[in-house]
Amino acid sequence: MKLTRLRIEQFRQFRRPLEIAALEPGLNLFTGPNEAGKSTIVAAIRAAFFERHRSGSVDELRPWGDASASPTVELEFDLGGEHCRLTKSFLHKKRCELQWGRQHLDGAEAEDRLADLLGFRHANKGVSKAEHWGIPGLLWIAQGTAHDIRDPVLHATDHLRRALNESLGAVASSGGDEVLAKVEAARNELLTASTSAPRAAYAEALKNESVLDAALQATDADIAAYRRQVDSLAALRREHAADEAEQPWRDFRAREQDAAARLTAIQDVERELAAARQQAGQFDERLRLLRSQLDNFAGQEQDARQRRAALETAREQLAEATRRAGQWQGQHAEAAARFEAARHGLRLARQEDTRRSLAAQLAELRQKARDTGARLAEAEAVNASLRELQKQAASAEIADSDVASLREQQRRLDEIRIQQAAAATRLRFALDEGQTIRIGDETVSGSSERQLVDATIIELPGLGRLAIAPGGLDLPALRRAAAELGDRQSALLQRLGLASLDAAEARHQAQRLLAGDIRAATASLKSLAPRGLDALRGECDAQLARARETENALAQLPPAPADAASLPGIAQAESAEDAARHAVEQLAGQLNQARLAAGNADTSYAAATREAAAAQAQLDVPERAARLAAANAGLTDALAQQAALAARIETLNRQVEAARPDFLKQDVERYRRSAEQHEKRFAERRDALLKLDVELQAAGALGLDDRRAEIERDLAQARRRSTELRRRAVALDHLLTLLRAKRRSLTLRLQAPLQKHLNRYLQLLFPQASLEIDENLSPGPLTRNGSQGPETGDFETLSFGAREQMGVISRLAYADLLKEAGRPTLVILDDALVHSDAARLAQMKRVLFDAATRHQILLFSCHPEKWRDLGVTARSLESLKA
Amino acid sequence: MSQSPAVPIDSARLSVIKLLHTADWQIGKLFGQFEPDEAAILAEARFTTIERLARLATDQGVDAILVAGDVFDAQGVADKTIHRLFHAMAGFTGPWLMIPGNHDAGLAESVWTRAFRLGAIPPNVTLCLKPEPLIVAAPALAILPAPLTQRITHADLTEWFAGAETPAGLPRIGLAHGSVQGILADGIDSSNPIAAGRAVQARLDYLALGDWHGTKQVDERCWYAGTPETDRFKANDSGQALLVELDGAGGPPRVTPIACGQYRWQIETLTLQVPSDVDQAVERIAAYGPFDVVQLDVSGQTDLAGHRRLFEAIGKARGKARSLLADLAALRLEPTDDDIADIQADGYLGEVLAELRAGQDGPDGEVARDALALLAGLLDERRAGAAR
Repeated sequence: MKLTRLRIEQFRQFRRPLEIAALEPGLNLFTGPNEAGKSTIVAAIRAAFFERHRSGSVDELRPWGDASASPTVELEFDLGGEHCRLTKSFLHKKRCELQWGRQHLDGAEAEDRLADLLGFRHANKGVSKAEHWGIPGLLWIAQGTAHDIRDPVLHATDHLRRALNESLGAVASSGGDEVLAKVEAARNELLTASTSAPRAAYAEALKNESVLDAALQATDADIAAYRRQVDSLAALRREHAADEAEQPWRDFRAREQDAAARLTAIQDVERELAAARQQAGQFDERLRLLRSQLDNFAGQEQDARQRRAALETAREQLAEATRRAGQWQGQHAEAAARFEAARHGLRLARQEDTRRSLAAQLAELRQKARDTGARLAEAEAVNASLRELQKQAASAEIADSDVASLREQQRRLDEIRIQQAAAATRLRFALDEGQTIRIGDETVSGSSERQLVDATIIELPGLGRLAIAPGGLDLPALRRAAAELGDRQSALLQRLGLASLDAAEARHQAQRLLAGDIRAATASLKSLAPRGLDALRGECDAQLARARETENALAQLPPAPADAASLPGIAQAESAEDAARHAVEQLAGQLNQARLAAGNADTSYAAATREAAAAQAQLDVPERAARLAAANAGLTDALAQQAALAARIETLNRQVEAARPDFLKQDVERYRRSAEQHEKRFAERRDALLKLDVELQAAGALGLDDRRAEIERDLAQARRRSTELRRRAVALDHLLTLLRAKRRSLTLRLQAPLQKHLNRYLQLLFPQASLEIDENLSPGPLTRNGSQGPETGDFETLSFGAREQMGVISRLAYADLLKEAGRPTLVILDDALVHSDAARLAQMKRVLFDAATRHQILLFSCHPEKWRDLGVTARSLESLKA
Repeated sequence: MSQSPAVPIDSARLSVIKLLHTADWQIGKLFGQFEPDEAAILAEARFTTIERLARLATDQGVDAILVAGDVFDAQGVADKTIHRLFHAMAGFTGPWLMIPGNHDAGLAESVWTRAFRLGAIPPNVTLCLKPEPLIVAAPALAILPAPLTQRITHADLTEWFAGAETPAGLPRIGLAHGSVQGILADGIDSSNPIAAGRAVQARLDYLALGDWHGTKQVDERCWYAGTPETDRFKANDSGQALLVELDGAGGPPRVTPIACGQYRWQIETLTLQVPSDVDQAVERIAAYGPFDVVQLDVSGQTDLAGHRRLFEAIGKARGKARSLLADLAALRLEPTDDDIADIQADGYLGEVLAELRAGQDGPDGEVARDALALLAGLLDERRAGAAR
């Protein structure tokens, strides 16, 4: 399709007609600033094709404020080898005429013809929208939409396909996608889209089938159990009947009774045996007694013999002991005499020794008494002088505190007097000779002065009286204080017996001197009689007394023997005495022992004599012989009886052992148990039969087989349904797979030529790049050489500029494709590629120039300088309008 | 099981005795292969057929009815079912002589002991549970029963018949349930054997057999009655009872099969090759009536139109016949070029259609056929929608 001329009138800003003629079959560049009307021209072309002339929704086509306008577009173009002229007026004067070669079409017919040829649709109602625009919507790029390729392609897909099918000779299905969608929906009703697992009705049918299958198996198990029970009922009944006929327990009962009888018999024998054994035991006891009796008699005789021998021995021992005691007696007497002589010697030695020591003691005591007497006399003299001093000190005594008090009182009295003097009214008078006055109680004359401290009456003889009141207020107080202090001082002095403070001071000094003398005397006395005079005196007396006592003791000593000088010393005498005493003591011990032995021997002899007599007495009992004989006879008798009893026990024992009562007992137990078991089993079986009978009756009433038949019926139905659904699902799935595969292969066939055209342009922009095309014929991911090998990215992730460029070259590729299919193509770019840099724009110019060799391209731009090297003359809208 | 004393034999011997021989009632059987409503009606039919049998016996002046086992389909039928059966038998007040079969064997605890317990068995019904002669007063007969007291036996329970003495002059009637050896197809009920020629060997006037669901004569004096109401597709000559007439002179009995079943069970196999086969098939299918229970197997090939017509015919017939099970799995769809043009299977749809068509012969032929039918249906629908 080639536009040759267009004319616009009463169309938006073109109130006056605008005509563009002699359009080039290739590139046409229109330039003009913003608002110059570039987009209005594009809008006019769009309106001429897309909008129904009868449309009431195209108010925006009319110029502003011109309600009566009829926006008119007139287009001349070559289409399908014919020259065409389309005149279309909207709104006020609705008109559409198409002159196609010699053919003339009017109104909707003309519009429909063009839509069919160009590949778009009209809106049923209202303004035409993007989804109606089809192929022109793709190739006519509105301002600022070059980058947006996906939606326009989507709206054009069906038209593209149809157009392309024809060129390819391939037959796309007229309603293939619709069928495919239906198949897919039907398939997805039964199978999940992702995993092809059964769902919804199909899944339910399968579940139902498996539930019923399980129920059938459960019922089968119940039935099998029921049948087993029936079989066991039959078996039990047979066994029960057999037992009832045989009654096997009766035989066991009979055997039990037989064994029990035998057991009773042997138990009698056992009792007899026990009695015999008890009797044998009694015999044993009697034999033991008899033997012990005889042993007793023999023992007595033996005892008497032994006692007699013992008596003889005791007698011999007594004689020996008596002889030995006599010997020890003599030796002891000698030793005693020797001891007495030694003792006397020792006494004499000690007496002389005492005499000597007393004499020495006496001499010493007398000396000591003399010394002590002298010291006592001196001490008594010191003591007398100390008494005198102490007496003096007592009379001169005065306390330090009293002296201090007196001194203080004096000091304060002095102070008061000074104050009085200061405060007193000074009365100075100078009386004439012979004149007197009375001041208070005093009569004065001459010149003098008085200090008046009290109110004083001055009598001036012949003149009257002057009452002087000293001015100081404290004078009376001072006077009172002075009086009080004077009283206290007088009282203290009185108590001390002193006249004045000076006397007190003198006494105080004397007292200090006396105290020193007393301390000296006291120290002297202390050294002479440290424990006091009385003690010293006592000591002297005691020494005198002891001297007298020692004299007495000496006097009382016996007179010294003649041979006093030859007497041995005390030590020697003591040693002799000690040896003699030791000897006598030893001999006394020996003697004592000998005497004790003799005594013991005597006692033993006496005892042996008694015992021998007693033993003999037992033998001499008169009935002893008779009893001994009886015991011997009894023993013989008992032995015979015991032998007889042992034979009987042996016999009985053998009987019991032969009968084995323990086994007999077990037999009884065994037969009893056997019988019981049989009886029990019989009873249990009877109970089991009853129980089983009841159970089976109850189970039978359940109608298990009926239920099974019902379940089986339902299962068969469920199986049929699930089989049907499975077949349907499998068939649908198969169909869907097949449809998709066929559609895919068709799409691939359609994509190939588009890919070819696209690559042609793409190489100019991005060498070695490739752009995939999806099944909607939309551009898909772009793969190009990056810094690290090939990089693939979605179309949407490219920069705006790149997307714009891709958008343009994709559209040019579609145009090429359509051209090949013999479809009309017209490319309009309204201010496209404004975001391209210089290098890309240069490439895009090459692309556009190339494309323009096959298609008419209308290019509108507000940047004429950018397009100078496009090889065409730019038409300025300004000049066109002029 | 009443033991009757000897009766005036001579008089009995002189008259003709009419017996109705039936077996294999299979009461309690359900039919899962059908839709629930149809299955219920077929199960119900088993009771109504017994009612009809009773009426038939009364109408025919029959002396006694012999039931040769498998009265119940299973031991564990519901109490209600037991009661219903004996009520259904009320239409004939003469003696009913029954034995248990393998399905309802006289076990220690069985459907029969329950029936006794329930008091469901009317006095004119005699159930033979023991292998011993039963002398019936009126009509004067000696019944030699071979009841199954186990589910399966491998011993011949009729063995004792020959050695059994019965009052002279009384017709000896054997009653047994099992497979006569050597005459039935191998593998069919080969347990519970019955020796061939037992009737003659045991001096029986007639041996009434059960177990085989189709009516079958074994020899001159021995018959299988078959089930009175057909219960499976492969049961030739079923749905009948046998009227047995004994002339009293010991001659061979006169046996007449009488149809008493309600439903005709049939397997219809149709092969479609040429377009006119479809017309015939449609006609055939349209002919099914309310007493037909049909299993329809269609094979061969047809175009879309034929397929559509066949489906319509089957749909209609389902509303008319008692039951119609149709299996079209073996039927190839061969859309013609016209078909394809008709349903506008252009573009890749056409390719898919062609591939499915070819796939019908492959290993997944069934899937391809189903898919093809689905696709054709969708396209058809679409065309119909477009036409509107």
